[in-house]
Amino acid sequence: MRNFLAFLRQFRVILFLVLLQAVGLTWYFDSSEYPRSQYLTSANAVSGTWFQWQHELTEFIHLKENNDWLQKQVAELEEKQLKNLIKLDRSLVKVNDTLHMVQYEYMPAEVIRSTHTMRNNYFTINIGNNNGIKEGMGVFGVNGVVGTINSVSEHFATVKSCLTENSNIAAMIENSGEHGFLKWNGKDARRGSLTGISNDRKVKKWSKVVTRGSAGTFPQGLPIGKVEKTKSIEGKPLWDVTILYSEDYRRIQRVFVIKNVLRDEQLELENNLNQPK
Amino acid sequence: MSPAILTHIIRAVLLLVIQVSVFDDLPIGEGVHIMIYPLFIFLLPVEINVFYLMLIAFGFGVLIDINTDTFGLHALSASMFAYFRPLIFKLFAPRDGYDPLTETNMFQMGFGWFLRTFGILLLIHHFWFFLLMVFRISEILYILKITGFSVVLSFILCILYQQLFLRKPKKEA
Repeated sequence: MRNFLAFLRQFRVILFLVLLQAVGLTWYFDSSEYPRSQYLTSANAVSGTWFQWQHELTEFIHLKENNDWLQKQVAELEEKQLKNLIKLDRSLVKVNDTLHMVQYEYMPAEVIRSTHTMRNNYFTINIGNNNGIKEGMGVFGVNGVVGTINSVSEHFATVKSCLTENSNIAAMIENSGEHGFLKWNGKDARRGSLTGISNDRKVKKWSKVVTRGSAGTFPQGLPIGKVEKTKSIEGKPLWDVTILYSEDYRRIQRVFVIKNVLRDEQLELENNLNQPK
Repeated sequence: MSPAILTHIIRAVLLLVIQVSVFDDLPIGEGVHIMIYPLFIFLLPVEINVFYLMLIAFGFGVLIDINTDTFGLHALSASMFAYFRPLIFKLFAPRDGYDPLTETNMFQMGFGWFLRTFGILLLIHHFWFFLLMVFRISEILYILKITGFSVVLSFILCILYQQLFLRKPKKEA
């Protein structure tokens, strides 16, 4: 016992370091998968308010880009309005549609803080619990998918972006329907990769990559990017597909949080499926 | 509260704000990441107990982690920095030891001393940070590359910080 105490005394500094490192490493490896507490992310009230101020100061720099995009979007929607369409068939009458109901709702938000140089990049947005944001909801940008909600506080939320090693958004190649998961190599903010595509199928260059919509976070068919090149992985019957993202995450400003009204229903059904009877 | 403690608190807040609002937003590319906050841990008094030093460093790292969503990376590397600080200080101690009244900045201790001690400590800090961030031995060359570039940039900015915010001693004529 005395020897043990002497040992502790002799190495107490390095033991303390090991303890601190153990605490830090536990936090690091736990939270990159699933955050324990919103107070330990930038969605907490103090940090959120600070980044909100900062965002309000620098917002005007991107005003022109935002306006250009808005105008484009308005024009696109205007074209789809009924008054701009011509009737081809006199027998069809447009009535209030009861065949469709809204499954996905879009809530606009602003990115108040973002990084793109780290291995795992998280964005902070300025809406939170008060607007009905919940963990696991999808986030869609101006041109493409951004990520999923990671942690939520009263007025802010953090987004686990496509620029994390395992963003694991279910993606598919639009024409052939081949699907896999989205990954990032941690270096190039413009390119990601798609794993799990079997190499007995041909993957056309520049074919569109869209969301698969299987997990209920995103509707099917939201753009992610385009196939830039394919390479075979050694020793596995799989393609390593490089995607050029359609969204430039380095200058992202405005996003939409996607709320799936039927998500709970889908998850409940799938959970029942997995339980052995 | 004594003015010395107040100075350190103000410096901590200033470095935190600069780190989070400027250098974490700054797009440099190639994976380079500038970190100047270790300067706060470096400039704490020499005679401070190493346990307190490591605790302060860890806590300060946690504050940065919270604001940049890095989940403990900064806390891990800052406590590593604090562990090595007394060792490096002992290694490069001046002949008569350290004067508890002087701060260990580059004006009081001389640029050569600052380059050696802070350079080595910053290298340890950055290397640990990038090693844990990438966490792949196969990419060790990439880690070394970004560590090298980032250390040089961080070091230059730490010199700049001291030029801007620290009182220079008057030269004796």
